[in-house]
Amino acid sequence: MLWLLAVSMGASAIGGALGMAGGMFIVPLLTVCGGLDIHIAVAASIVSVIACSCGSAASFLAHGLTNIRLAITLEVATTLGALTGVCVAGHLPASSLCVLFAAVLLISAWQMAGGRRAPIDSIDDTRITDWATALRLHSSYPDPTHGRPMFYRVRRLRLGLALMYGAGLISALLGIGSGVLKIPAMDSALRLPIKVSSATSNFMIGVTAAASGVAYFFQGIMQPMIAGPVAIGSVFGAWLGARLLLRLPGEKLRLVFVGVLVLLAVQMLLTAAGFHPTAHAA
Amino acid sequence: MNQSSLEQLLARVLSVGTWLGTAIIAAGLGLRCMAWGQGQSAQVCMRMASLGIALFILLPVLRVALMAVAFIRMRDFVFTAMATTVLVIIGLAACFGTPAG
Repeated sequence: MLWLLAVSMGASAIGGALGMAGGMFIVPLLTVCGGLDIHIAVAASIVSVIACSCGSAASFLAHGLTNIRLAITLEVATTLGALTGVCVAGHLPASSLCVLFAAVLLISAWQMAGGRRAPIDSIDDTRITDWATALRLHSSYPDPTHGRPMFYRVRRLRLGLALMYGAGLISALLGIGSGVLKIPAMDSALRLPIKVSSATSNFMIGVTAAASGVAYFFQGIMQPMIAGPVAIGSVFGAWLGARLLLRLPGEKLRLVFVGVLVLLAVQMLLTAAGFHPTAHAA
Repeated sequence: MNQSSLEQLLARVLSVGTWLGTAIIAAGLGLRCMAWGQGQSAQVCMRMASLGIALFILLPVLRVALMAVAFIRMRDFVFTAMATTVLVIIGLAACFGTPAG
């Protein structure tokens, strides 16, 4: 139990320092090193994702970075995706989940290697009467460097919603926050400022994860001896990670994690192939 | 209620809920590890840990419910409908998770 606590705390601290939830590290560690069934690891990781989201949402909300109107709009799509994921998860064999997970890890590594660019705004205000305007989703956030609110517009809402559906699906299947799909959805499709998209995405993943978490809870695969320590570890890890974020050199850190993600992907593929390097030792 | 006071309320609820959930799980697991870990009382401890986990899962749901109520009070019915839809979808997921019979 102590190692679960330590692993999830470390994973969430790392995740928090990179501005994401730790699920991406928790699931591979539990399955590859702990020899747990991936379905149980995913259920435990869902709790970790909720814990990270709820724990850090407060400070984002207090700073006025979260666009809650946009969040609830996109949550319709992410929870639908999660519902789909819950329906199919039980029918998928563990090996295919491992392969899917490895693919997501590799895509994340590639994304992280490239870094996130600020969206380049190609202004086409010709179509003012779009959905986002009708729903009054455009907003502003306080920017301390300028000392005045920065206004932004939400674009291509339908593409964003489609990507969010995929993000919800992946999140339910793999027990992760699935920033891997949310980041392109928010940066490229909706063209949000990075601070707003981080805060809003963080706010949303809790609800997405709750949709699948509630199902896994009733299915009885949420084991308190595993999910409990993971939840506690995540709360403290996320708290620690948010503080580390301010101190550590971002660039070097990012390169290290690209390496870690690739390594985990390889291990997940080996697990999928039925090769358990440490399962007998655990 | 305006939007910024809604944001403050959500921030409070989420942070209080997080620490409460953590405390309940920690208490359950802690007692399980101590001398209580036998028979009937061990089950009670596990129930407690499960309760804490359930609280975590319900926290975002509560957040959406609060938003739905706030949108009603702001007379913003499109957003009330969206928040309600999210709640219905989560309800469906819960029904799907409940074993039949």
